Amino acid sequence: MNKSLRFIAVLLKMKLSHMMVFRISFFGGFFVDSSLFLLQLLMFNAIYSQVDSIGEWSKGQMLIFVGTFSLLNAINMTVYFFGVNGIPSKIKSGDFDHYLTKPINPLLRLTFENINLGSAPLVLFSIGIVIYGMSVQGGSASPAACLLYVIFILLMALLYYDMEVLIRTLPFFVISTDSIEQLECAMFDLCMKIPGVVFKGIFKLIFYFILPYGIMATIPAQIITESISPVGIIYAAIVVILFTVLALRFWKFGLRHYKSASS
Amino acid sequence: MKKYWEIIKISFKGQIAWRFDVAMNILFTVTRILFAYILWGAIFGQRDTVAGFTFQTMLSYYIINSFLSQIEMSDGVSRELSRRIRGGTFSKYMVIPANVQGYFMAQSGGVTAFYLIFDLLATVIWILVFRIRFSFTTDVTMILAAAGMVLLGLVFMVQLNYFLGILAFKYQDINLFLMMKSNLVAFVTGTMIPLVLLPGTIVSAMRIFPFYYVAYLPSMLLIGKNGEEAIMGLLLLSAWILLFLAVNKIVYRCLRIRFDGVGI
Repeated sequence: MNKSLRFIAVLLKMKLSHMMVFRISFFGGFFVDSSLFLLQLLMFNAIYSQVDSIGEWSKGQMLIFVGTFSLLNAINMTVYFFGVNGIPSKIKSGDFDHYLTKPINPLLRLTFENINLGSAPLVLFSIGIVIYGMSVQGGSASPAACLLYVIFILLMALLYYDMEVLIRTLPFFVISTDSIEQLECAMFDLCMKIPGVVFKGIFKLIFYFILPYGIMATIPAQIITESISPVGIIYAAIVVILFTVLALRFWKFGLRHYKSASS
Repeated sequence: MKKYWEIIKISFKGQIAWRFDVAMNILFTVTRILFAYILWGAIFGQRDTVAGFTFQTMLSYYIINSFLSQIEMSDGVSRELSRRIRGGTFSKYMVIPANVQGYFMAQSGGVTAFYLIFDLLATVIWILVFRIRFSFTTDVTMILAAAGMVLLGLVFMVQLNYFLGILAFKYQDINLFLMMKSNLVAFVTGTMIPLVLLPGTIVSAMRIFPFYYVAYLPSMLLIGKNGEEAIMGLLLLSAWILLFLAVNKIVYRCLRIRFDGVGI
């Protein structure tokens, strides 16, 4: 554990010195993603100027949902997105060989080798949206709800990571996964704009179990507004455990099928 | 004109090589419709009209807007320009016997013409799949005005992407601009929500800018709304095109001298 943490610290140091070369791009992720979520806030603000609720959700709940999604996205962009996203190209080009020959878990290195501190301000920006949502919602969350919210944010960030790893493990077996990544992007984009409580029938099955993007921000938002049953919380925890086990097993399975392309 | 016609034809044919990309592009038109169907389904579950829209007219709006956004393929112009300029291979466009902006205009025209056929087909399929009672105006004047506006809108978007692309002469890495532009354009062209839902002052301000007329107003015209804005829209969009024609010419002339070619 200590060795891994020291390794992550070294990766972070290297990444920071690399990022200083491209100073304009340093906060690029922050500007792009904050503009995306600001526009989403504008969208829901415009809708709520015409209606009182969407499904059963009030404006406050929706703001918390947007803030929570933004927070998950911020953790993703800051910690692991740029690392995990590079996996397919490394497999295709054969650069993945370098990761296998080093005395460190390749997934650990790939996950943390591109930590992007430029996106870190997004975390504060997102917390600001959640707090604003809480004030619009009225009433305050209990300390227990806040603690559970933080725990589930971390669990959902893990679920998000699992989904990314699962999709980016496919290049071990197929030549191109561009369309699958496009599909991931489209489904993620859809669930970013629609809270899970709105899904019904087949869509609920798809976005709550098969591609569980629908629960990522919905469950924490329901926890902090204390509008979820214990069964819902247990269900979400089980989904995270299932997908984590699946992602790690699939990754190991993929490693066994790696055919080096470079030598 | 003949050389530009040839570029259009080559670009059109070139798309046949990317059949899988075309199929995926068509498939993904459904995500915007799905978004509208689920979100607005939940909203209209408790009421009949929102801002003058019924559920069916709202879905019709999203279908038309999604179709128009999908045939607008000029994003590739800024990406291609940026890639070529950064990689030092932009010289290819400097030596061809055609105006660079005209070349990209013709190239986008060919790509759009190709996608137009398939996206139209996809639109019909989604209308049938989602069992939408499609609202479409029968007023020929409105249809013609919308068609003219769509055409001008496509030209303007190529010009905008060309402008952003040639900024790579100065800034090298323009990906940040391009991603922010994509986010903003999705909102101000009414792809996320119909702009009529926004406060009146914001909508009034948006009418000065060209994005309002690229996809939002044509969509509204085609579902039989906002007819009184058609003439003004056509005039304003034409004025923006003329302005960008001049701006792009000047910016290109000033910035191209910064280019360092590779392998020439």
